[in-house]
Amino acid sequence: MFELNRITKSFDGVRVLQDVSLVLRPGNRVGLTGGNGTGKSTLINIATGFLDPSSGQITLDGQSLNGLPPWKFSRLGIRRSFQTARLIPTVTVRDQFRIGNAVGNLHRRRALIEKCGLSEFLDLLPFEVPLPVLRKVEVVRALLADPAVMFLDEPSAGLSPTELTSFAHFISENLHDKTALMVVEHRQDLMRLLVENIMTLDRDEPGIRVDSMPMKVVGSA
Amino acid sequence: MSLYVASTLTNVALISFLALSAYLVLVVGEVSFGQQAFFGIGAYVTATVTAIFDGHVVGALLLSTIAGGLAALILAALVIRLSGLYFAIASLCFAELLRLTLLRIRIPLEIDGRTTGMDGPEGFSNIRWIFENNFEVTDFLILTVLCLAALLVLLFFFERTTIMLRARLVGRDAILAQSLGVRPAQYRLAFIGLSGMVAGFGGALFALFNTHIEPQMFGVMLGVHALAYSIIGGLGAPLGPLIGVGIDIGLLESIRALSEYRMIAFGGLVAVLLILFPQGLLSPRVVNQLRARIWRRHV
Repeated sequence: MFELNRITKSFDGVRVLQDVSLVLRPGNRVGLTGGNGTGKSTLINIATGFLDPSSGQITLDGQSLNGLPPWKFSRLGIRRSFQTARLIPTVTVRDQFRIGNAVGNLHRRRALIEKCGLSEFLDLLPFEVPLPVLRKVEVVRALLADPAVMFLDEPSAGLSPTELTSFAHFISENLHDKTALMVVEHRQDLMRLLVENIMTLDRDEPGIRVDSMPMKVVGSA
Repeated sequence: MSLYVASTLTNVALISFLALSAYLVLVVGEVSFGQQAFFGIGAYVTATVTAIFDGHVVGALLLSTIAGGLAALILAALVIRLSGLYFAIASLCFAELLRLTLLRIRIPLEIDGRTTGMDGPEGFSNIRWIFENNFEVTDFLILTVLCLAALLVLLFFFERTTIMLRARLVGRDAILAQSLGVRPAQYRLAFIGLSGMVAGFGGALFALFNTHIEPQMFGVMLGVHALAYSIIGGLGAPLGPLIGVGIDIGLLESIRALSEYRMIAFGGLVAVLLILFPQGLLSPRVVNQLRARIWRRHV
């Protein structure tokens, strides 16, 4: 169980997040929306170790993660994607998969890559591959590590509506049952395909709390 | 082979070690203006071991490699948090500190009627291993080229490992690296240490070949050139920096009419090449594209 407890974050005195709590259990699918500047990205950055909260606790299965570096979060199974497809421009798709700390045997990895329809792109460089495929590559790269929690930061960026639907199906089909998913997204259509529960960050309404079991929608999603 | 050609080629091979050491640092995204220091450390260690203690040359080479690596590792450990520009400055300061210290240390010794040992600006003379073992210039050329070839083969296989992939990732995008569970500081330390080893080994051979070394040989310009080789040659493969060395020493320095203007010619050439090939001649993208193409054709 991954938990954020009463997270507050200020930058130079400007409060971006106040009293945000979140519980993600294995298999949960949660969406996060909110207007510009409501702290969606900040929340992901805190949950994945890229930023330290001003106050509040981050725990995974009861173990405190406060102050740990991001690579440790990642090794503990807390993975993320970035708003722009973030791949190494000079390395083939095959090698993009080799870089991360993958778990499981080669056979299983190959099966996942094949199932996701990425086999034909393995020897290409990112600039030779269409964007929707790159988005998949990013997600599969994270899935290869069998993450406990996965954060997707605006996965829809750059995708057309049709691509979006197939992308949503792709994610829900390939996500491990035990992986908790949190999607940050402003496109409600994708959100509805992916998640069971949507929380909204709102400047004027601090102190949201999302516990994804029982289902509870906070804010005006 | 004329003596002149043989010694030019030996110099190309010797400086290649330095270029490869700068390359290893660039791979993890750091810039070092101080690789000449580890080269110098290697040179002085081997000079001391062979000329003063009459030690075996293999031991001397080994010790130089370790000393170079250790010095680089200590420097990196001290300043690793200051990445980017600050590491570049720290490495430059370290190299200059070492050079100025060597200028101050004067402990000349008389061995078999010859003056040897560290003697400040006069340098370390009479490193006679090459004469004592009846090495001709061409013999030494062969030795150096064999060592360089061995290193290149090692690097070639290393290039395909996940370690190298991750190191390159750290150099390109440390944030992405961390999000994939790769610890950047670990790779930076390891590669800077490795670069010190390569430079130390090259410096050791340099001392044996030159039979006389002095602190001025390991000045800033040597480090700047080492960097430039990788930048024009590209970071895609270890062959990149060697192309740089070949152009600078093999071509510019050896053409006598040009040698006086070598710095000007080389500087101009670097500028032109960077305009035409911003990522260097063998850029990572070009190398990986070629590799993928070739691989696909064979399967």
